[in-house]
Amino acid sequence: MSEYKTRYKAYSAWNYENEIEELNKLSEDGWQLVKAGNYHSKFVKNPDIRYRYQLDYGNIEDMGRYIETFREQGWEYINSTYNHWHYFRKVYDPSLPASSYEIFTDRESLKEMTGRWAKTAFVMSAVIGLMALIYLIMLIRMPQILYLLLFLTLGIESAVLFRGALIMNDPDANRNRKGDTKFLYVFLIVLVLGCAGIITTSALHTHVYSTQQAGSMDSPKTDEVWNTFTVRLPDYYYLDLDIGSVSPVTVTIVDEDEETVFTKTSTDFHVENMRLPLSRGEYKLLLSASSGFKVTFALD
Amino acid sequence: MKKNEPLSESYYYILLCLSKGANHGYGIMQMTEKLSKGDVTIGSGTMYGATGNMMKKGWIREIMSDEPGVERRRLYQLTESGREVLHEEIARLRRLLENAEEV
Repeated sequence: MSEYKTRYKAYSAWNYENEIEELNKLSEDGWQLVKAGNYHSKFVKNPDIRYRYQLDYGNIEDMGRYIETFREQGWEYINSTYNHWHYFRKVYDPSLPASSYEIFTDRESLKEMTGRWAKTAFVMSAVIGLMALIYLIMLIRMPQILYLLLFLTLGIESAVLFRGALIMNDPDANRNRKGDTKFLYVFLIVLVLGCAGIITTSALHTHVYSTQQAGSMDSPKTDEVWNTFTVRLPDYYYLDLDIGSVSPVTVTIVDEDEETVFTKTSTDFHVENMRLPLSRGEYKLLLSASSGFKVTFALD
Repeated sequence: MKKNEPLSESYYYILLCLSKGANHGYGIMQMTEKLSKGDVTIGSGTMYGATGNMMKKGWIREIMSDEPGVERRRLYQLTESGREVLHEEIARLRRLLENAEEV
């Protein structure tokens, strides 16, 4: 029975030489790569052989020609990850020169490979950065926790990717960085926490929409409870209100302690995106009217 | 790369090796090492990229070997335009060398 193990990996693309080094070390310890994945790789125990590994990145047009070109020089193709990283190994023979374990033997071809990744990362970083900018503008115009979270999450992801793209784009950069894993962790933690925060915030955020109208009324309303709502997330909320009436109508929002948060009396009134800081609790929407009217109320 | 832009060392040696006749990647690699007395090596990644790019430029083309009794194999062959590029590059290198000798 062969002994297998799965290892979770944390290498960023711009630190891929660190992965090569670890694969070589594992092979020396008797663990041979069977299948490489994006987040975990499978190894089989075999102490009788030693391999050297190499990684290549790119969208390969002719896989047959590709694998043949590597096989000719003793490279065994292992597999590719879905995001176009290709894994190769060659049996280690200490009598061969170090250059026979390189797959890129000139600066131009290495730059072509790392440049391909950098180009993709620059585009992604720009798209994500643009989205972050849009949410920053929205945050400035209408401060709300959701926009803050979206701006921070997208902004940090864009910055980490941009840094990675700069490293990959520089042919002289070191791509075997011992301490660089922290940037990958920042990327992953921000992604998970950001998404969780965005989903939670969206679910907790209160939305109210209500419209009321009446013809000439027999019995006038005085502070009649029109609607109630619960605020679970303390945040800035934005009020849209439309009043059209013959005689004055009063719309009031009161909190649990019957304190007035907002009130307006008018026959003709229109406001959009009026900022109301609301804390956690139950709220009541009250209406006073004595004749025909139409009122639309929205809270977001 | 424009036609008159200097060739990279790998491109130059690949074209040079193919000027002697069609060859496969491994043959090009061996011939390069022999010609350069081990100074120039062409790794698999460099070879795949360089041959792919030069096929797109039309400097070389892919053919299948039809030697009887031997496994059919992918070979690269120099095209007319590839031969022209190589000759231009050799002429350019010769000019550089002559200039160096004049100084």
